[in-house]
Amino acid sequence: MPTMIEVQHLTKKYPGSVVAVEDVSFSVASGEVVGFLGPNGAGKSTTMRILAGYLSPTGGEVKVNGLDVVRNGLEVRKRLGYLPETCPLYTDMRVSEYLRYRFDLKGPSRRHRRAGVERAMERCGLADVQNRLIGQLSKGFRQRVGIADALVHNPDLLILDEPTIGLDPNQIVQIRNLIRELAVSHTILISSHILSEIEATCSRVIVMHKGKVLESSPLNELSHRWFSGSQLRVEVKADAPEVEETFRSLDDVKSVTVHQEDEWACAELTFVTDADYREEVFLCVQGRGWILRELMAKRHSLEEAFVNMTTGDAGS
Amino acid sequence: MNRFFALWKREVASYFVSPVAYILATMFLVVMGVGFWFIANVRLMSGATFYELLRALFGGIGWVAVLMVIPVLSMRSFAEEKRSGTLEMLLTAPVRGGAVVLSKFLGIFVVYVMMWLPTLLYFPMLQHISGGSVEIDVGALAAAYLGVFLLGGFFLSIGLLCSALTENLIIASISSFAVITLIFLAGFLPEVSPVPALRRFTEPLSPILHMLEFGRGVIDTRAVVLYVSSTLLMLTVTTRLLESRRWRA
Repeated sequence: MPTMIEVQHLTKKYPGSVVAVEDVSFSVASGEVVGFLGPNGAGKSTTMRILAGYLSPTGGEVKVNGLDVVRNGLEVRKRLGYLPETCPLYTDMRVSEYLRYRFDLKGPSRRHRRAGVERAMERCGLADVQNRLIGQLSKGFRQRVGIADALVHNPDLLILDEPTIGLDPNQIVQIRNLIRELAVSHTILISSHILSEIEATCSRVIVMHKGKVLESSPLNELSHRWFSGSQLRVEVKADAPEVEETFRSLDDVKSVTVHQEDEWACAELTFVTDADYREEVFLCVQGRGWILRELMAKRHSLEEAFVNMTTGDAGS
Repeated sequence: MNRFFALWKREVASYFVSPVAYILATMFLVVMGVGFWFIANVRLMSGATFYELLRALFGGIGWVAVLMVIPVLSMRSFAEEKRSGTLEMLLTAPVRGGAVVLSKFLGIFVVYVMMWLPTLLYFPMLQHISGGSVEIDVGALAAAYLGVFLLGGFFLSIGLLCSALTENLIIASISSFAVITLIFLAGFLPEVSPVPALRRFTEPLSPILHMLEFGRGVIDTRAVVLYVSSTLLMLTVTTRLLESRRWRA
């Protein structure tokens, strides 16, 4: 697959020797949906702004579609839709008027304007508010106008900086669905510090921390790499100390924690390998004659992986 | 061209959806109107000619209006976009910095010209008040307006540069007011300087003298070249400044 974004040894220093991004390299293939993850201040927005041609790199090379963002800025910007973090809009314009204006600035030719604007409004659910002033819209609608703006000229690449920030849960779901729809025909780079966000929409994640890339891998690989040992949750009708002792005697068990809920003992088991131990645990419970009400393999959440990565010394 | 037109249209429209243009135009026309009333009553009665009236209006009271209006007219152009963050949207669109600056300049310039248009009515009025004793010289009138637009364009380009330097509207307007006033005051140097060399040097540069010349109906090409090229210089500097965030490491 051809490469859409190619970033090599990107460094960005702000005046006062603040290093926002340091020696960052990654690439995004055409058609991929990549999540840009990191705590606040990790350098995500700076990297995206450089990609969008708003800031210049201090060092390194950034290419979009094989074109350098500094030397061929104009060409790059034609093929790219960008939603800044703060989603700035002209509040004195009406929604459709604003999108027409943005199409005129970015689009190929005026002949396609009506179709382009209507498609963007339809996709973002803006048809009902198209004649309202942007300044009178709620945060959720403004965010959608920002996304509609990013895709109004049908670019190959979408760069969305925290597209769901400040939205209510329903709106978040709508935006996620929209992003999934867009993923069919666009390459998308989304930043977020909300992990479920990335988990829900992206196939690959790039983790940034303190201006550096910590990880760049598919989602499922990520959790494997940052966790060793599978985890099981077991609930049986028995006394906690007895359950703890029994499970400790199993092979490969690394740790066991048990707490009592009425007459049920709830145990969390961690094993030394990634293998599936559910069968062994079931046989053990059966052997003791306990009643089993839950046996669940815990999937490592991205949250945990993220906390592990960014609180350890990996970033500094 | 399409892109440029879209930018320009947005710029002009932005003045008319906010009260800024209306308040400014009102202020401007009140000052000009009072000046005109004064000139028509006092000067006309004392037997002034059309040319003297024209000079009094454009070379005198016109200055007050210009010094008042231009800093406020130009302060929003970039400072407001920076403050609200929309500059990021503008600069990440595939438009050249030069197109952005030129569209903003032509936008405020058109608003400025529109403010002056109602003053055209003064002259039929003048003729009426004088009972036909004042002959209107259309050529001189055109030269006077040309002067007002040339100087206005130059001062607006200074305002634009000041606006691009800050995201604070007050700083933008005060700094452009300071620079424009300084240039205006320097225009008195040919008359007040005790040093003859300085007098000779500043005479062809004085905007006050230029305005009086235009008001007399004289179009001095040196002045035209001076203002057009100075305006272009300011716009170029503004463009460089704006684009510097793209190439500045």
